[in-house]
Amino acid sequence: MSLTSPVFFLFLIITLFVYFTVPGRYQWLVLLVASYLFYAVAGIKLIFFLLLTTVTTYFAGLLLSRWKNKTRKKWLLAAVLLFNFGLLAFLKYYNFAIAGLNLILAPAGFALPSFSLLLPLGISFYTFQSAGYLIDLYRGKYQAETNPAKFALFVSFFPQIIQGPISRFDQLAPQLTAPHALDFDQLKYGIQLMLWGYFKKIIIADRAVVVVNTVLDNFTSHSGSIIAFAVFFYCLQIYCDFSGGIDIVRGTAQMLGINLRENFRRPYFATSLADFWRRWHISLGDWMRDYLFFPLSLAKPFYKLGKRTRKLFPGKLGKIIPTSLASFIVFFTIGIWHGANLKYIAFGIYNGLLISFAIVIEPYMKNFLQKVQINPQGPFWQIIQIISTNFLVFIGRYFTRAASLGAALQMLKKTFFFFQASAINSGALLDLGLTKLDYLLVLCGSLIILGVGFAQEKGTSIRKTLEQKNWAFQWALVMVTLFVLVVFGIYRQGFIASEFIYQQF
Amino acid sequence: MEEKVLAILAALNPDVDFTAETNLIDDDILDSFDIITLVGELNDTFKLDIGPQHLLPENFNSVTAIINLIKKLQAEG
Repeated sequence: MSLTSPVFFLFLIITLFVYFTVPGRYQWLVLLVASYLFYAVAGIKLIFFLLLTTVTTYFAGLLLSRWKNKTRKKWLLAAVLLFNFGLLAFLKYYNFAIAGLNLILAPAGFALPSFSLLLPLGISFYTFQSAGYLIDLYRGKYQAETNPAKFALFVSFFPQIIQGPISRFDQLAPQLTAPHALDFDQLKYGIQLMLWGYFKKIIIADRAVVVVNTVLDNFTSHSGSIIAFAVFFYCLQIYCDFSGGIDIVRGTAQMLGINLRENFRRPYFATSLADFWRRWHISLGDWMRDYLFFPLSLAKPFYKLGKRTRKLFPGKLGKIIPTSLASFIVFFTIGIWHGANLKYIAFGIYNGLLISFAIVIEPYMKNFLQKVQINPQGPFWQIIQIISTNFLVFIGRYFTRAASLGAALQMLKKTFFFFQASAINSGALLDLGLTKLDYLLVLCGSLIILGVGFAQEKGTSIRKTLEQKNWAFQWALVMVTLFVLVVFGIYRQGFIASEFIYQQF
Repeated sequence: MEEKVLAILAALNPDVDFTAETNLIDDDILDSFDIITLVGELNDTFKLDIGPQHLLPENFNSVTAIINLIKKLQAEG
């Protein structure tokens, strides 16, 4: 059930109605039934995998809370994590691995069969969320959930299971099981957030994708400047698609009285690549930091390595080598998680290298700025940093969008060595599948997002600003947004809202 | 103890007045790289075993919080 389909709206209205009609103590059961119904629509057989993770995590959680023996707990944690991540890896990478193995086995006349495996909806997101729960229990952060049905709801909560945000048990579970009275403010905020998400998705992302696919699926017949233009549109597309989807998810949850964590904090205002990744897919970044980066960096081998490197390279470099190595592993893991493809590994290495490099040169940069009398906190330097960060992100996007690493490198080569600026003209642009009106909508939509983002960066709460306006204005804004969505979202012939990109992960 | 902790923090970022800050983590004054360096120094200086389970914002948001964590771990032995 796509978040942009009419069936979803019907489903949401019925769920809201039942949810606010039943007594508060049964509301969580409504959510559980709704979540499993939602999941069943995606594929009833896939519920098996969801249940497998739910059941193994539930029982392991109970044992981790009860057992005192640390070694036993460690082995249990390792086994259950291995099982669940193994399942994720198997479903995600089986065919890729088989194709590789068959290449090796081919001379001997062997061939292993490949299967068409349908990836269970949101498997990455619920696997990460469940793993976080177990590691927290192992660390003694809280007690295990004893009610299996309540735990099943934590794993399967329907708006967020599709593409996150990856929640923490102690923040989400109490909200899911608490009674919620109908609150018109929450309902209103939820609708506003959902509309904002639909605006990003339908007006911008679903238009940008046309240019992206037209050019990049056939990049060899386009000049460097058109490729760069399409990659820029891909930046717009992926941000509006993913953050728009998250807004819809968070808005849906808010209507139910449940606050899900933020997943994006205006990443295009980041002043460094590290800052960008702190603002982009925040819940995944936090997960990686707490459950992979910290344990790795504090592990004995890294600690010993740190002592050695500090002796060998006094100063900043010696200190950051082991931490950089850990961050490399994190980016590598995030890369692999995106897909079994060399381009994602290259993307991980690209980010890891640049972030480490930025840390090493930081003191030199500070000295340089002092010498040339530029205030590092001043607007001039901030703008330079924002532009250069966006440029680095833009280059990184070549890797994630290209069909392969080879294609990404060729696209980059064309951009840098065969740019041909004259190829960008109105005739060429109108040949990429979008009309003048479409381009105008993407431009206006992006400027609105940029304006709202700028106001939020300056500390303005858009919600509070809207609250201060009279009800007629608020109502009119909702209506205008709806009108824009309906007219400009559906007017295009053969328009079908595309699937969300992160749904496939 | 406070002086030693302040000296370690000052080495991380000399531009911050660590005595006044109470949101070192929540306000992103210390990033995850800083935290790892800080923990390494604290472990060495105070002979502690700060692990990933202790890396919560509430344990590192201020100098007082850091000192409380050190005292707690020292008491646990």
